[in-house]
Amino acid sequence: MKIMKRASWRRAAWLLLAAALCAPSLTGCAAKGVAAYQRENLADPIMAFQTRAKKDARRVRALEAREGSTGGIGGEGGGCACK
Amino acid sequence: MGRGLVAVLLGVCAASPSAAQATGDPAAVNGLFRLFVDSKHVLVRSLVQDYSMPVAGDVNLTLHWNNEHVTIPGVSAPVGSPEAIDAITTASRPISGDAYQDYEKVRNELEGQVTRGPVAVGYYYSMESDYVGQQVSATYNRDLRDDQLNLSFGTSWGWDDILPLENQRSTTAASTKNTLHWNAVATQLLSPTSVVRFGVEYNHVSGLQHNPYRLVYAGGTTVPERHPDSRERRDAFVKFHQYLSNRSSLQFDYRIYDDDWGVLSHEIAGGLSQYVTRGFYARYQYRWYRQSSANFWSDDYTTTQGIDGYLTGDYRMSPLSSHLFGLSLNADLSVLAPDSPTLRRFALTFDYERYFNNENYSADILETGVEFRF
Repeated sequence: MKIMKRASWRRAAWLLLAAALCAPSLTGCAAKGVAAYQRENLADPIMAFQTRAKKDARRVRALEAREGSTGGIGGEGGGCACK
Repeated sequence: MGRGLVAVLLGVCAASPSAAQATGDPAAVNGLFRLFVDSKHVLVRSLVQDYSMPVAGDVNLTLHWNNEHVTIPGVSAPVGSPEAIDAITTASRPISGDAYQDYEKVRNELEGQVTRGPVAVGYYYSMESDYVGQQVSATYNRDLRDDQLNLSFGTSWGWDDILPLENQRSTTAASTKNTLHWNAVATQLLSPTSVVRFGVEYNHVSGLQHNPYRLVYAGGTTVPERHPDSRERRDAFVKFHQYLSNRSSLQFDYRIYDDDWGVLSHEIAGGLSQYVTRGFYARYQYRWYRQSSANFWSDDYTTTQGIDGYLTGDYRMSPLSSHLFGLSLNADLSVLAPDSPTLRRFALTFDYERYFNNENYSADILETGVEFRF
């Protein structure tokens, strides 16, 4: 029973993510396009993914030693003295 | 230290300051001080240096060095007793000599990456008294559809040598751990004020994956921890950023993870960045995390064989939920003091995070950083 409940949760979560992946294409948002002169706000440090990348990587490494999962940044490092 | 590290050092020598100036792009140095203190009194002090510079043409070199000093408190109960087991679960340390004294270890980490156009290759080296980790990595990214969409693919191969120190209660031979990683990430502009990023990641880890010093209380006695030698880990994530009209932005992250040990986790995070004035902004964040237990986890092993031959004293294998609150302050002095030839080269950051979980574990993380642009 517990295994079935876990499996259905897992299936639902993956379906939800797949729906999110398809959403921009389905709504047509992505197809309209953003011209280069319209990207001033997107380049602002408070919007750029790159601003948080190194900090996120440090956090993932620290939390790997406290939680059972990993990922979310697109890479994985090696050993860690804090584990 | 391997041929990869030699290649990185040769790259440093080849990257002369005159070559950097020839391209006209500024080089930058980042210095960071990081302090981690948790409720088990484990203290981690990190000094991080990042150096980025153009070498020639469109080739860029980045170097990263991290010096970590870890202090793990002494065992607070007789060695090998059930009470002492909790004292060694939060960090790896041997129980030998005077186990009632604090244990200290140092880790040095060096990483180099060369980027040319859409391709980047890197080498990573980490060394501590009982652990040496190495990794080579490569990424490729490409802009598509008039730069509306960016696709990125990355892979890495890591090989770690684990050299357990002398331990009074258990004996583990030298061992290895290998990690194969790949990822695919797509970043899509949605509107002039919103952008979304999706990613999937896969890791196959093989080799020693338990703490060689940790003991588990099972069947009325203590036995060494034992985890499976193979683990397949996968996750998918989505990140959404929305710019708001009052010079602020909202960030939303979601990640799902599962592996063949039975751990399934969800992570939801939100953030708000707000400019206080030009060049100075604050960021507030919250993160919620929840995971299920591994198939072989139990809080009461009745025999020394555990479950399917595996035993764990690692709370990361148990059902777990956690919260994290954070505050970040960022000042760019090129905007705050544009007329000062010295100050305008600096950027300053201050970060504080508070983490706690349902295992009565909590931690405070403090970061202060300085960036200098040449």
